Amino acid sequence: MAQTPQTISGRVVDDKNQPLPGVTVLVKSTTNGTSTGVDGTFSLTITTENPVLALSYIGYKSQEVPVNGRSQIEVTLAGDQQALKEVVVVGYGTQQKKDLTGAIATVSGQDVTKVPVSGFDQALQGQVAGLQISSSSGAPGGNTNILIRGVGSASSGTSNEPLFVIDGFPVSGSGVGNPLNTINPNDIESIDVLKDASATAIYGSRGSNGVIIVTTKRGKANKSQVGLDVYAGYQEVAKRIDMMNAQEFALFTIDARNNGYLDNVPTGKITDPNSVRPTNFRIPTALLDPASLGEGTDWQDAIFRKARIQSYQVSASGGSDNVRYSVSAGYFDQEGIILNTGLKRYSFRANVDAKASKRLNVGISLLPSYTTQTDLPYSGHYGSLGIIQSALAQPPNVPVYNPDGSYGTTVPTPEPQAVSVQNAVKIANEYKSPSSQFRLLGNTYAEYAILSDLKFRATIGADLNYSRNEVWNPSTLSTAAATGPASAFARRFESINLLNENTLTYQRTFGRHAINFVGGFTAQRETSDVIAITANGFTDDLVPNINGGIITGGVNGGTVPGATGFTQPNSIQEYTILSILARANYVFNEKYLLTATVRRDGSSRFGEDNLWGTFPSASVGWRVSDEAFMKSQRVVNDLKLRASYGLTGNNNIGNYRAIGQLGGSNYILGDALALGQVRTSIANSKLGWETTKQLDLGLDLSLFDSRISLTADVYDRRNTNMLLTVQVAGVTGIGPNGITNPTALVNLGEVQNKGLELALTTRNLVGDFKWTTNSNITFNRNEVLALQSDRDQIFGANTNVTQVGQPIGMFFGRRQLGIFQSDDEARAYRTLPTQAAPNQPAARAGDVKWKDVNNDGVVNDNDREIIGNPNPKYFFGFNNSFAYKAFSLDVLTNGMVGFDIYNSSFFLNNSGVQNGAKYVYDNRWISPSQPGDGRFGRSIRGGVNNNGQYSSQYLFDGSYLRIRTVTLAYTVPREVAQRIGLQGARIFATGANLYTFTKYIGYDPEVSNGSGSQGGDNQLAPRTDFGTYPISRSYTAGVSVSF
Amino acid sequence: MKKTFLGLAVLTLGLSSCKDFLTVVPKTERTTANFYNTAADFNTALVGAYSTFKHAGLYGSGAGSLIWLGEVSTDNTDYGFPRTGSSVNQFQIEDLTYQVGNDLFRDAWLGHYQGISRTNAVLDRLPAVSFDDALKSQYEGEARFLRAMFYFNLVRLFGPVQLSTTEINDPFAGNTLGRAPVNEVYTLIENDLIVAENILPTTITAANAGRASKWAAKALLGKVYLTQKKYGLAADKLKEIIDANVNSLMPNYADVFLSTTTFANNREVMLAAQYKGGQISQGGGFYTQWTPFSALSPDFGFTNGAGDGVNRPTPNLIAAYPAGDVRKTVSIALSYTSTTGTTVNEPYPTKFLQKGIIRGESDVEFPILRYADVLLMYAEAVNEQSGPNAAALDAVNRIIRRSRNLPVNTPNATVDLAASTSTATLRTRLELERRLELAFESQRWFDLVRTDRFVDVMKAQGKAAQPFHVLYPIPQRETTLNPNLGQNTGY
Repeated sequence: MAQTPQTISGRVVDDKNQPLPGVTVLVKSTTNGTSTGVDGTFSLTITTENPVLALSYIGYKSQEVPVNGRSQIEVTLAGDQQALKEVVVVGYGTQQKKDLTGAIATVSGQDVTKVPVSGFDQALQGQVAGLQISSSSGAPGGNTNILIRGVGSASSGTSNEPLFVIDGFPVSGSGVGNPLNTINPNDIESIDVLKDASATAIYGSRGSNGVIIVTTKRGKANKSQVGLDVYAGYQEVAKRIDMMNAQEFALFTIDARNNGYLDNVPTGKITDPNSVRPTNFRIPTALLDPASLGEGTDWQDAIFRKARIQSYQVSASGGSDNVRYSVSAGYFDQEGIILNTGLKRYSFRANVDAKASKRLNVGISLLPSYTTQTDLPYSGHYGSLGIIQSALAQPPNVPVYNPDGSYGTTVPTPEPQAVSVQNAVKIANEYKSPSSQFRLLGNTYAEYAILSDLKFRATIGADLNYSRNEVWNPSTLSTAAATGPASAFARRFESINLLNENTLTYQRTFGRHAINFVGGFTAQRETSDVIAITANGFTDDLVPNINGGIITGGVNGGTVPGATGFTQPNSIQEYTILSILARANYVFNEKYLLTATVRRDGSSRFGEDNLWGTFPSASVGWRVSDEAFMKSQRVVNDLKLRASYGLTGNNNIGNYRAIGQLGGSNYILGDALALGQVRTSIANSKLGWETTKQLDLGLDLSLFDSRISLTADVYDRRNTNMLLTVQVAGVTGIGPNGITNPTALVNLGEVQNKGLELALTTRNLVGDFKWTTNSNITFNRNEVLALQSDRDQIFGANTNVTQVGQPIGMFFGRRQLGIFQSDDEARAYRTLPTQAAPNQPAARAGDVKWKDVNNDGVVNDNDREIIGNPNPKYFFGFNNSFAYKAFSLDVLTNGMVGFDIYNSSFFLNNSGVQNGAKYVYDNRWISPSQPGDGRFGRSIRGGVNNNGQYSSQYLFDGSYLRIRTVTLAYTVPREVAQRIGLQGARIFATGANLYTFTKYIGYDPEVSNGSGSQGGDNQLAPRTDFGTYPISRSYTAGVSVSF
Repeated sequence: MKKTFLGLAVLTLGLSSCKDFLTVVPKTERTTANFYNTAADFNTALVGAYSTFKHAGLYGSGAGSLIWLGEVSTDNTDYGFPRTGSSVNQFQIEDLTYQVGNDLFRDAWLGHYQGISRTNAVLDRLPAVSFDDALKSQYEGEARFLRAMFYFNLVRLFGPVQLSTTEINDPFAGNTLGRAPVNEVYTLIENDLIVAENILPTTITAANAGRASKWAAKALLGKVYLTQKKYGLAADKLKEIIDANVNSLMPNYADVFLSTTTFANNREVMLAAQYKGGQISQGGGFYTQWTPFSALSPDFGFTNGAGDGVNRPTPNLIAAYPAGDVRKTVSIALSYTSTTGTTVNEPYPTKFLQKGIIRGESDVEFPILRYADVLLMYAEAVNEQSGPNAAALDAVNRIIRRSRNLPVNTPNATVDLAASTSTATLRTRLELERRLELAFESQRWFDLVRTDRFVDVMKAQGKAAQPFHVLYPIPQRETTLNPNLGQNTGY
């Protein structure tokens, strides 16, 4: 029965009486509806009898309101904490979650602060499907590897890291350590992870690895708050390697020297004294009597400590309708679990928004911070003072301190046959590597409403970085002699990244058509200038910096342990990027969604023949749950199907790579140093970006009044025209002296990542006792589809290979078949019946047996094959929150399953030179009746079979499940808080990295290539463990109060 | 509106035009586009080409590929280092169990082609620029000399090799280029050296010590002829050097290799790789890294580390020195005193000894061409061409007299070879004299291969030498990249 049309208007507010824009207001059982405006108001013409309004809004509980003849209705929607936030930050704007057609995941600031760490990147681990984060170093401020939907680029010079956009400013990694350390996690309002092409194409040539948008907290009108957030606690090493004690080491060494002697000197006898043996097979005097040695020194005890961690932040926010502010000051202090290491950060934030006039809004975001770090050479060979390897390799019969108080050491070796390792505690005490960074990230904006629907916004921003680091390697830390000349290194770095963005936004709803358009023009220029200087030739240690020695330029940086990567004293780098961008969103009838974006980027990094690239994307969405046929059921309360396809680029090729460059190669003429120059790169005027083509099909589903919410995405991401560093033939003669693999950068090849991401939130219990589970799991398959040729093998660190038909960075080496149990078995190991000699002529009982891959009757370099996969089959996060009244308990777990790690640490070698793991002692081959575990052969130094070959012997399954954090919190009831003058208070205790379930034999399965003091991120040689800084377990307690 | 946008960008970033904004030129690197204009540029480029001598594939700082491939692969030396995963490549050389993936072959290949590319860059661009003609000539001569030397090493190490005479700027060009026959490579080498010997300077001033002279070019050309068994040409060319009387033997053998012997006084060394200590990345390790592995001794006289046992003299070499040969005591120490005072019987080379330095920071030059070699090559060429004559015997006798601390130019009936010496006797004696005179100078392998003696000599030492061992394998890196290269027989 029809009724006279009646117009009703109303306003929707949240429980804090703030207007809610974008609330869907629908007349129940009809398709008649609208949504609220910016001020929360709506108006609707109704023809239905006894109308009931159905109001729904993501993040809030849906409500049905009978009109009851009213013409003016005020509705308060109760917040629904379990649902995702209503507004999602997308590139150059925001969008309502329900209208999204791209794959974007949001993490709230609250979730970021659940993990007590220095940088938010570490806190994101396990929180987002498709986001794979590994800590490559447990050092305070250590690096993380961040991958969105797998490794896209097989080029070692190319970063696979996503683009970070902080308060609208696309930043680049620069400075010291991990650049994300400069942001205080407590300042973060939300983090949005843009994954598919629909979401990232607006970032054009920088979008192909995904985009992470960080938004810091801003003030809200009429809501003043002063807060104090404090936590403190301590950390300890999460795991120790069980090493041999002094007696075991001596027995092991004696065994190894005897075996080596018999192997190399056929006439030798085990009873032969040192005097008749070659030096390599002599038994060190100190180890001649194992029984007298006992336990000896636990060097891990010596270098690891209980370390403090503390964080303080005061913040204030609030404002009026005209001016809103949010400011904070923070102090973070994390000691490292290795002696004398740590990080301190002083951070500030000032975000101000003001209504300058009726049409003009202006604002600023300022994020200054000052970070200091004290480092040591963590990973790397003990010969370069790598402290982990120094501690593990040092024979346990050596004391940390001698009775006279001096440091115990094996430097210089008392005998030619002994190992020479510097005292790790001495390294920690005497090696100095301080660094500091000042960073100011500032972005200002002015937004002018030309019309009510049309806004012009201009931003000017700058990211300023000043950093310095120094290394002092005193004469006392020689690894070869009692003293060696000291060396020093100093570096000063400055970068200025300037950005101007100008966008026009048009937003309008015409009846059932809603349109949102953004168009713009941006320009960005980054200049960096680094001076890195090395000094050697110190005659004393009186001046512990470069001024005390002879300045030898930056070319020598590598000679100072820990100061690598600088090839010239001064390097000025500059790059520019110029862009035009546009995005249009169109929504029909609130159900049919369409988004199209395009960006055109010009970059100075590309060759002059290929300066500009265009990156379009399109996506569609269908809100199935809003269809009439879904209205009658009560199971599904939200269902949206999404599909997107688009192109994005990767411009991470470094600067000037299209230009043919020369580099220094000096020589001596006339007994004096003469400047020489040689060609170090080939000019390539066609060099351009890498293009990623990505298809994404997604589903957002909520069931049973949002008790169950699922987001599922399948994707196929293909990187084409890869910025591939191809090997060039030696005859091209490219490169400086010492380059062992001359290369050139070209656009070539293709890599595919395809996968499935599932994110599931279930509200298992919703009564007084609440239990919510947030879980996500990602299955990614990586495959190289094309390289320069199908035969190509790109080697990373000699341990990994990248080739067509396989994932990037597969482990490559000989395959261990087992251990020969007898000399006869070794002699009988022949592939061909006709061959004269065994496959491994030098092998004896207890030696490693390798596969003759090419079946030619000889085991050699040609018998290397793919022996393992560093890429996980899947990774996941499984996070549970429990709440009962004022108490809450959060348990975050995450893990990776089905990947291998190559452990090249000395503690697994069998030579009895450096100290080794107890596991090797217990599980090595001793005799046929004590065959060990079949992996580790006999202990032997200088064995002719060369058991230490790179082979599957040192490859381990890295699968793990980690209890990331457990947080117990008590929220002081509001009445109690108010009685003591507080708005609110929360007390909490957190345990982080409490336990890791894994069979992996090293410190932690979350290793990456451990090159450099911060851990490396070479995706061509991932998951090679060479003693990175171990992760810590921490126990912290804190309080958050607001006034 | 676009103008507004541009206006803002002009203000903030100094944007003038899109093209200008996107054109960014390196500020701390020279580029191939702005270099190679002046005489100074070409000199700098040539210094870069000379610096190839210090490539790990040539002499490096004391343990480059040519040390291994020239000495350790022969009966002269072995490697006094533990057989571990890190010494696999080196022991393949000692054991004659060469694998195609051995880094030492790769380095040798890469190093020599880098040198060739550096000389090609100079030779390509010299005609287009104008500066002082004499200087231009000298630079062309030096570039041709160096290119010839690099190709000469390559063709002897690997046989047929890729022939590139211009700078390669296509990253893929090298992946299809096949190997040129040995005679074509030699044609290029001879042509370059014939040009070079005519335009290189007759004398090198001390300020230019290390640069190639006319005489170095002639010596190298003589060696090129000799290697191809063009004995007549070789004898004539080498005789030009002897007759010119510019170069001469140092009276005292030890002085040839001393850091204290000035360039002006050392008329024997005709070309050497230049080293200088002081931690400027130019030091040599020919002495310090060749001392016994990991051993410390007050005898060694250097700081900051121990030796690596590179080029450890074999008992066979030690025994080869006749009694009274001063070259033995100059070249080899038979033992050292350990830090605890005991005597350790481990031999090590002392030919390039310099005490009082930091490990790897020696000033001693490493001789590549010297007059003693010229005399011995001359005798060899004459002997093979027509049998011994007085001049040939005199050349050898000068070497022998010096080795006994006798006046070089005074005939001595006791040690001199008799005028009646037969071709075969002289041939055998030359093999020994070259071995003892040039020990540790990376000549032995080339000498044995040139005289077709490698397999026999090595078999006599119990090594499993095979006929194909007279060439090393083409590095696997290159054959993988370029299927047209093929591989040498036996690998």
